[in-house]
Amino acid sequence: MKISLRDITIDYDNLRAIDDLSLEFHEGEIHALVGENGAGKSSLMSVLYGLNLNYSGKILFNDKEIFWSSPKDAIQHGIGMVHQHFMLIDELSVLENIILGYELDDALGFINFAKIQTEIKALLKLYDINMNLSELVTNLSVAQKQMVEIIKLLYRNAKVLILDEPTAVLTPNETEIFFKTLRNFRLEKKIIILITHKIDEVMSISDHVSILRNGKLINSSKLKQTTKKKIEEQIVGKKLPKLNVRRVIIEEQKILEVNSLRLSTRFSHSQPIDLFIKQGEILGIAGVSGNGQNELIESILGVRKVLSGSIEYLQEDITHKSTRYRRIKGISFIPQDRRKDGLAIKSKVWENVITINLSDQKFSIGPFVKKKSIKNYANQLINEYSIKVDNLNSSVLTMSGGNMQKLVVARELSNNFPLIIIENPTWGIDVGSIAFIHQKILDIKAKGAAILLVSNELDEIEVLADSAVVMYEGNISKRITKDIKFRENIASKMLSGVHFTENING
Amino acid sequence: MKSKEILKILHPTIEIFYAFFSIFILIFLLLYLSDANFSLAFKGFVNSSIGGRNNAYLFSTFSKMALISGMAIAALVAFRGGLFNIGGEGQLVVGGFACAFTGLLVSDFGFIGILISIVSGMLAGATWALLSGFLTVYMGVPLLVGSLLLNYPARFITSYLVSHPFRDVQSGLPQTFLLSKNIWLPYFPNTRLDLGILIIFFVYVICLIIFYNTKHGYHSKNMGHSLSYVKLSGLPTKKIVFNTLALSGAIAGIVGSIAVLGIHHRFTDGMLVQPLYAWTGIIAALLVNLNLWFVPLAGFFFAAIYTGAAGMERIAQVPKEIATVIQAVIILFVVGKLGSLTNLSSSKGDKDD
Repeated sequence: MKISLRDITIDYDNLRAIDDLSLEFHEGEIHALVGENGAGKSSLMSVLYGLNLNYSGKILFNDKEIFWSSPKDAIQHGIGMVHQHFMLIDELSVLENIILGYELDDALGFINFAKIQTEIKALLKLYDINMNLSELVTNLSVAQKQMVEIIKLLYRNAKVLILDEPTAVLTPNETEIFFKTLRNFRLEKKIIILITHKIDEVMSISDHVSILRNGKLINSSKLKQTTKKKIEEQIVGKKLPKLNVRRVIIEEQKILEVNSLRLSTRFSHSQPIDLFIKQGEILGIAGVSGNGQNELIESILGVRKVLSGSIEYLQEDITHKSTRYRRIKGISFIPQDRRKDGLAIKSKVWENVITINLSDQKFSIGPFVKKKSIKNYANQLINEYSIKVDNLNSSVLTMSGGNMQKLVVARELSNNFPLIIIENPTWGIDVGSIAFIHQKILDIKAKGAAILLVSNELDEIEVLADSAVVMYEGNISKRITKDIKFRENIASKMLSGVHFTENING
Repeated sequence: MKSKEILKILHPTIEIFYAFFSIFILIFLLLYLSDANFSLAFKGFVNSSIGGRNNAYLFSTFSKMALISGMAIAALVAFRGGLFNIGGEGQLVVGGFACAFTGLLVSDFGFIGILISIVSGMLAGATWALLSGFLTVYMGVPLLVGSLLLNYPARFITSYLVSHPFRDVQSGLPQTFLLSKNIWLPYFPNTRLDLGILIIFFVYVICLIIFYNTKHGYHSKNMGHSLSYVKLSGLPTKKIVFNTLALSGAIAGIVGSIAVLGIHHRFTDGMLVQPLYAWTGIIAALLVNLNLWFVPLAGFFFAAIYTGAAGMERIAQVPKEIATVIQAVIILFVVGKLGSLTNLSSSKGDKDD
């Protein structure tokens, strides 16, 4: 089987999202689709699975042209998509979620659950998937929920699986299991389209890779005929700058010190947390999300009350101070969820560049804001961080994810504060922006900032951090110093909790 | 491709035309059912919303427009900050009563008396709004619920006050004594339109400045768009909440005050509740998609609908109930059609300055 997209063009108002693009997908192939945010990957896929009907060009199924009027139509032709945000009902069981909307009831409206269950079990066996069908979805891990979404498509006889950044939410271990399943799909002659930002994954699992940039197809070739470096350059459109890692002498002064901190009753069995960060140092906190990183950050920022223990910032006890006090005293914060916590996305671009410093003489006189100087400042940030935005007066909503993140980073780093808390700064953005943001973080460190970097990406911690700790169920490991086995040491602590507790006690 | 683009440009026009067409069909049906003369009804509607001898009816529309716009601004101030203060009615009533009560005490001071009365109305309205803010911030009562429920005490406490302690018994109605002419709002020369509309215009201008040129406006807009962003940024959220609510309540208090000093010259039980000023104001604010610039337009529209329907009833003998239904039909269509159009345009970033 073969699916071809011929001369696809998509126009949104004044913007050409996809420009005369032709692409072929073959059965038994994992086809990676890569490109920057806003390169057109999602737009292209929305045509293929029937969400966007406003396009010109043709979709061919084994050289026969087909049309559909909705995603439901597309799935009947065997094309299904797993989105980044799952569409599952938490209160229902796995089985109920799988058959929802496709119940295959008999003439009287009864559903033969026993029969369906055996069918699904056969599917699970075929692809070697481990899943308890009677479990409630709310009790599943993110990886398992994702698998439910995929089983949903398999049950509807999908021959083409479009996966939108499936590994963004998975741990390294879960990713391995997930890839094993994908390889089984390949054996069964499915077409797998993998949208991703992670070039390493492309290299390790895909057969064919297509690179999109500005709505155009830059290259589409067998993986063997290209290299990682080539792909990266094709995505960005130029050579990626090498990270400039300057050696920074870590001063003895502790900027942040956390002493026997108890975060929340959820982690009542875990050890109290001790950590410190010195001036000019990046401390990485690795670990699968949901192991207390969020609570730790919220405690340091003062939006969550701690159970016991103390937080000292520049030798001052700030345990019971307000968020406002801490931020004014010089704690910057780059949150993971830029759309909710980092920006007011419906506000305009220039309205998002100033927060607590609005009272500065530079930006206001008495109760009045100096619009002009704020806009000038915004322009300055936009130039310095090469943020792409069509107008200072358009809402942040019109920007791509990478540019939104750059805006947050620009705002938070430009204060030149002594302490910066950073949470997954490159989540879901393209390689070009990642390299850029990493460089900016290293630059601010070179200026003497202390940085707490929480990240689910081992790569990121490996590249940026001077030393790292791992969080697991509210516990924090000993410091792992940067040496040749840095990565292995972190990974081994991340994967197994048992291994991990031994380490604490030892 | 070409025809598609032309269609896109024409789309809003077609929508509006379609809306008007549907409205006329429905109104015609309603009038037919009520056995009324269509052309007479239409004439009555137009004449009494924007016509009249010496434009008298137009001025009464303006007078209503001032109150509705004022309440729309009050609602909009809060909504923009993400605060769903739907207690405008309570704040309006409390403000109106406070103004009438103070007015009786300071009636000898003329212009100063007017100022004092309005300020006391503002303070009362602001206090009432802050009460719901207090319940939200410190007791965890959702603002939507707290502000709504505070409407009832406002109504019934003032109702008690004008029925018993402060009642003008001679008048036979539950109302306060008539204010002395010293502190009535003056009329525009040769009209029955009081200067209240100028006060509302002043409020409108002040709010435009607050929205687009002050620190408070900057912060409260961002708070409306993302509370967690504002909180995590270390901005004083409580202060912004209380300031916003106080402003919203004070504006409602001003509206109550001009209704007392300009139109009724006393506080009568239910006089600010029955015409649904506060609720119409909320609808008007939502209709313009929280864009302050267009509030006067929406205010005029709603005022014209009300006076027009009343005129239809008077002139064409359309039953009051049918007139009210027609009024509702027009509002629903306009809100539905225009509302969806403004929503579409604002998704590409609002163009409010």
